[in-house]
Amino acid sequence: MAARGAARRGAGAGPGRGPDPQEEPPPPLQAVLVADSFNRRFFPISKDRPRALLPMANVAMIDYTLEFLTATGVEETFVFCCWKSAEIKEHLQKSKWCRHTSPNTVRFVTSDLYRSLGDVLRDVDAKSLVRSDFILVTGDVVSNFNISAALEEHKLRRKMEKNVSVMTMIFKESSPGHHARCKEDDIVIAMDSATNRVLHYQRTQGLKRFRFPMNLFQNSIENVEVRHDLLDCHISICSPQVAELFTDNFDYQTRDDFVRGLLVNEEVLGNQIHMHVTTEEYGAHICNLLMYEAVCSDIIRRWVYPLTPEMNFTDDENQSYTHSKHNIYRGVDVSLGHGSVLEENVLIGQGTVVGSNCSITNSVIGQNCKIGDKVVLDGAFLWDNVQIADNVEIFHSVVCDNAEVKEEVKLKPHCVLSSQVVVGPGITLSEGTVISLHPPDEEEEDDDQFSDDSGVNKEENKVKLKGYNKKDVGSEGKGYLWKADDKNEEDEEEQRQSLWGPAVHSEEESESDSDLSMGSEEPDSRAASPQLDDIKVFQNEVLGTLQRGEEENISCDNLVLEINSLKYAYNIGLKEMMQVLSKVILEFPLQQLDANLDSQNYFSALLPLLKNWTPLFKNYIKRASDHLNALFAIEEFFLEHDSLCTSIAKVLMTFYQLEILEEDVILNWFSLRDTSDKGKQLRKNQRLQKFIQWLEEAEEESSDGDQD
Amino acid sequence: MPGAAERGAELREQMEAFVARLRGGGGRPRSEDTARHTLALLRKIIAHGHWGSAGELMELIRAEGRRMAAAQPSETTVGNMVRRVLKVIREEYGRLRGRSEESDQQESLHKLLTSGGLNEDFNTSYPTLKANVIEAINELLIELEGTTDNIAMQALEHIHSNEVIMTIGYSRTVEAFLKEAARKRKFQVIVAECAPFCQGHEMAVRLSKENIETTVMSDAAIFAVMSRVNKVIIGTKTILANGALIAVSGTHTLALAAKHHSTPLIVCAPMFKLSPQFPNEEDSFHKFVSPQEVLPFTEGEILAKINVHCPVFDYVPPELITLFISNIGGNAPSYIYRLMSELYHPDDYEL
Repeated sequence: MAARGAARRGAGAGPGRGPDPQEEPPPPLQAVLVADSFNRRFFPISKDRPRALLPMANVAMIDYTLEFLTATGVEETFVFCCWKSAEIKEHLQKSKWCRHTSPNTVRFVTSDLYRSLGDVLRDVDAKSLVRSDFILVTGDVVSNFNISAALEEHKLRRKMEKNVSVMTMIFKESSPGHHARCKEDDIVIAMDSATNRVLHYQRTQGLKRFRFPMNLFQNSIENVEVRHDLLDCHISICSPQVAELFTDNFDYQTRDDFVRGLLVNEEVLGNQIHMHVTTEEYGAHICNLLMYEAVCSDIIRRWVYPLTPEMNFTDDENQSYTHSKHNIYRGVDVSLGHGSVLEENVLIGQGTVVGSNCSITNSVIGQNCKIGDKVVLDGAFLWDNVQIADNVEIFHSVVCDNAEVKEEVKLKPHCVLSSQVVVGPGITLSEGTVISLHPPDEEEEDDDQFSDDSGVNKEENKVKLKGYNKKDVGSEGKGYLWKADDKNEEDEEEQRQSLWGPAVHSEEESESDSDLSMGSEEPDSRAASPQLDDIKVFQNEVLGTLQRGEEENISCDNLVLEINSLKYAYNIGLKEMMQVLSKVILEFPLQQLDANLDSQNYFSALLPLLKNWTPLFKNYIKRASDHLNALFAIEEFFLEHDSLCTSIAKVLMTFYQLEILEEDVILNWFSLRDTSDKGKQLRKNQRLQKFIQWLEEAEEESSDGDQD
Repeated sequence: MPGAAERGAELREQMEAFVARLRGGGGRPRSEDTARHTLALLRKIIAHGHWGSAGELMELIRAEGRRMAAAQPSETTVGNMVRRVLKVIREEYGRLRGRSEESDQQESLHKLLTSGGLNEDFNTSYPTLKANVIEAINELLIELEGTTDNIAMQALEHIHSNEVIMTIGYSRTVEAFLKEAARKRKFQVIVAECAPFCQGHEMAVRLSKENIETTVMSDAAIFAVMSRVNKVIIGTKTILANGALIAVSGTHTLALAAKHHSTPLIVCAPMFKLSPQFPNEEDSFHKFVSPQEVLPFTEGEILAKINVHCPVFDYVPPELITLFISNIGGNAPSYIYRLMSELYHPDDYEL
């Protein structure tokens, strides 16, 4: 309920450009396009331009996504923008999508309040924008997939099984090691091969071992397929329920959260997720620069046909290309100097001038670039209006709008020059250099709150650059180095990974990566075998609760309440509960102090705790069987910790004195015959025997007293 | 006039849809369908567009035609139909101005040399022009309907009993041609499968349903089998101005093998596939599709290191072709230029 309220508020605060549903006839197919990635992977490039507008083969990413949606028959698209929404809007209004002849009506929903995909979908629900099944994509999907078959399957499933299936995810088959397979996005999926139902979904990044819940294979499903040869296209067909589910579960931030949540709670909520695997069509999602490079080269190599440059699907006059042998694409008014060679897979935008004796291969060059003589470009991605002077060499790097590279500069692989940067002359940028006009420590002032750890290393790395560092950008250079090349090796690693993706150095794991994998692992391991692990988890929870109680002096009543709720949450029986509680409390001093306590210290540490928590025990130990269970737990504990054996008598004495355990039960327990050898040994403990003797005597005395 | 505005908007929408479909290149549209669609759209433009004189109309048609033709350069039919319509407008206009058809059609060599200022002006407006042009376009549409049958009717002149015919891929025209012959004669057909899309399989299935003895073979076997073949009959996408072909890839191999064995190569193609373009622009109407069929995307690592190409068409030079069979009869490649000048006005070669 709280979430619903929050979403409403969010919607109210936004410009609220949602269309009135009553106004037009119900359109057959709608799409929700999220033109924001809600992370900073493309910083500093995306500081100047939102990610959705980054040019892929000289066409903005979002145009590919919209073309895909239009080609697949979508008639109404909601574009949700947050970061730099005005620019996205301006771009789209100029494009063919906003012409009245466009078969796909594009509507904008902008709000600065979106923090995640979850927020967007909650807003979709709050404004009730979708009326039937819709397609959910992000603004950086390049695909020529025809969704109709998958949509048909999806609809049929929903018809057959009363809306059980809420989502169909689209995957592309591609074997591991494929260059368009993003390491960050690698997944392992278990599916029911008969119905294409997703049974288990797990990201594999940084994991060496995968765990699958046992019940996956115990269920009545005949064939379970476990697949690692799939590429997530980030295209999903969703039913309106998806938006509702996001509203109901306000902690869902990403689609991953959603999928995981749905799979874990499948039995409770009864919702299912299905998948559709395509082999023929292309589909990829650009999540880092490595993927950017891979997808760009796939476009140039015509894998995404018919979305190839010479098709000019954006219908922009400046974007007409001719295609010739070896995948050379040339725009209008391109001039090529004497002796220059375009080897293969080259795209040159309109109005670009290339000097003489250049060698260009596997590159994309934007519009109106000026390239000097004897330039070598291999795997270079130059955006519009880039100036390259003579004798420059650029390998596998990105040079953004209006940047300038002066004479004799050499860019080693994976460099990034963001817009309007000037470098040179005569310097060599080492591998992975990132230069931007925005100083790296500008970060804190920024009020954009995409929570990403990239901000953290920026702070450590405070190199207060007043002017431009001539050593980094050359004597005529303009721009700040976004990280040091040599002094802070780790930082560099992290930075490069956030921009280029982990495949550059796949062995190393950055912080964010391990966070991610942990997040994905935890719920899975819990689901793996619930009966066994629940007790373990419960025990940890109880321990945590008690620790907190100890530190913050929480009253026993409240502790009881908390433990009770835990007990219900994990569905623990009273017997196990008793055992766990005794065990936890007895282990408590060991946890707190150190594992090798001698029995004397141990007892002195335990005593105050026992006194404190007496009401706790009293609350749970009521019947004779409870007493016995507690005793068994105590016995088990002391059997495990041989060195502490001697204090068992004292502990029992305390329990007795605090009136937690009754003497009858203790005697009863002691006299039990069917115990193990070790148990017998324990009972031979002198102090224990003395204690028992004392107890017996006391009993006799009291009974004598009774008789008197 | 809200009605006109609405119709205009509707027309624009249809245009965009057509262009988008051409661009998408999805499926394998029949050239005949494309031709009919183009004509229907042009007819609508003539009926609903804003124009006063023939000159304006031609300008309008040319502009729209350029857009449609540019959407998919390999679909030359679109451009051809636009040229046909332009020619129709010229003729109708000329007739209204009272010029005799005779003199217009038969331009003598002398006239060609002396007619320096032939550029007539198209500015006079005739109210009947619209109706006349639309009438002529309707005739053109009817002509389109009958092309395949017209070609098929000539089958018996070319296919004799017990002959072995080779063909490649799938062409509706060739299918109709062979089926027509099969009603009277018995012969054997060998179909090259035309990898990677293997349209040949479909062709073979369709032929065998008509009880024609059909064999499918791989493209690699073309040369080996050619010695047994009496005739090669193929379809084509486009006939170029010099009598060359733009046909499905694999055709060049077939044509060379036929030449080597001196087997006659017959091309069945309706007149609307005749395009006044020359092969020096061959790049522009080539079509490369996704390499998926050649080397699947699932291949993995190797794809980053190699370039895979998947061309759809082959260029077949005119000297490899024996005969063209069109809806108006059989012609040698060297005669194509003459047909061209009958179909299109020289000023319209460049749209």
